[in-house]
Amino acid sequence: MRTTTIRIFLLGLLATLSTVTLAHHSFSMFDQTKKVTHSGVVSEVQWTNPHVWIFVDVKKDDGSVEKWGMEFTSKVHLARRNFSQDMVKVGDNVEFTVSPYANGKPGGRFYTIKLASGKYYCDVGAAAALCAEKNGQ
Amino acid sequence: MKTTLLSLTALTLAVLTATSLAQPEARPIYPANSDKVSYAELDKLPDWRGIWQPAVGRVTGDQPQLIGEYKARWDAEQAKLKAGNYEVPETLDNCEPDGMPTMMTMPYSLEFLFTPGKIVVNQEALMMVRHIFTDGRPLPTADEIDPNYFGYSVGHWEDDTLVVTTVGTKPGQRLGVAGITNSDQLTITERIYLDKDNKDMLHLDFTYEDPNVLSQPWHQNHTFRRDRTWDILEYVCAENNRHPLDANGQTQADF
Repeated sequence: MRTTTIRIFLLGLLATLSTVTLAHHSFSMFDQTKKVTHSGVVSEVQWTNPHVWIFVDVKKDDGSVEKWGMEFTSKVHLARRNFSQDMVKVGDNVEFTVSPYANGKPGGRFYTIKLASGKYYCDVGAAAALCAEKNGQ
Repeated sequence: MKTTLLSLTALTLAVLTATSLAQPEARPIYPANSDKVSYAELDKLPDWRGIWQPAVGRVTGDQPQLIGEYKARWDAEQAKLKAGNYEVPETLDNCEPDGMPTMMTMPYSLEFLFTPGKIVVNQEALMMVRHIFTDGRPLPTADEIDPNYFGYSVGHWEDDTLVVTTVGTKPGQRLGVAGITNSDQLTITERIYLDKDNKDMLHLDFTYEDPNVLSQPWHQNHTFRRDRTWDILEYVCAENNRHPLDANGQTQADF
């Protein structure tokens, strides 16, 4: 059973490598087996290619603030996937989920975000189903 | 001493004069560049307007029969990938274009612009541009080739199929999948045509031939879906690349 799971995972990984890698870079620096969720205040939006970046100040348990970076796909893809620059602004309270950096840096690959409007925006693939559910579509 | 200097100057002048006076070999003018152009000819071509998005992950064809050092490299890369936390080093991560054939199959949009004697292909990702000459010129000979990202492409129409031959791509670029690269002997043949039942689907059938890499021709078939609602968008890779490669060709996890 475990072997089968690993095989399926490897197949998925290979499929990912052979397709998504082409987007711009590999995703090997992210631990895609994990998802972490945080809330905070948007401190910076970089609406750019080859990737859009959104930075969020997250308050830690000890009261200090940690700046988290979320890497989205390109500005080009987001434009065609109904995510626009005016949907997230500096100062917005958001909740986000990413596949974190494997090396423990405070950042990761975008999975989902709950926007200040209360609406969720999700990545394509597995995350999309979550958005459909949360947004009642 | 002075005489020697004068002689040298005279000699240099003579050489320069001779060089500047030598007539360059006349280069032929092909229809793409001639005074006579026929835009009317373009009306006979199939309608490929709009942008074309690849059906990512749906590649058919046969398996590459790798040989020699190229097989050894493939095996080594697969072993490293299986061990995990590894990526095949490729310069695309540093915003360097992949060139041919990869530019045709990236998960972004393609656009084909027909002009008299030349087809221009725009790849949205990294804003790559490719020129396919359809004016009857021959492929360059081996000594005329200066290997480059996109190579030299000539094409012709067989009914509604565009048949393109490309040579002269830089050795070491991705060939078909990450982990396989080409030598300086690669010839790429493409057959590009609309699906007979669905005019919003485009087929691109590749044949790769490289006697240093493959023991027999390798075929890869891709399909694309037409989008008539969007235009091609700007994509400047150097705008904000926060994940350049480290010295080992691995993406840096430090933004």
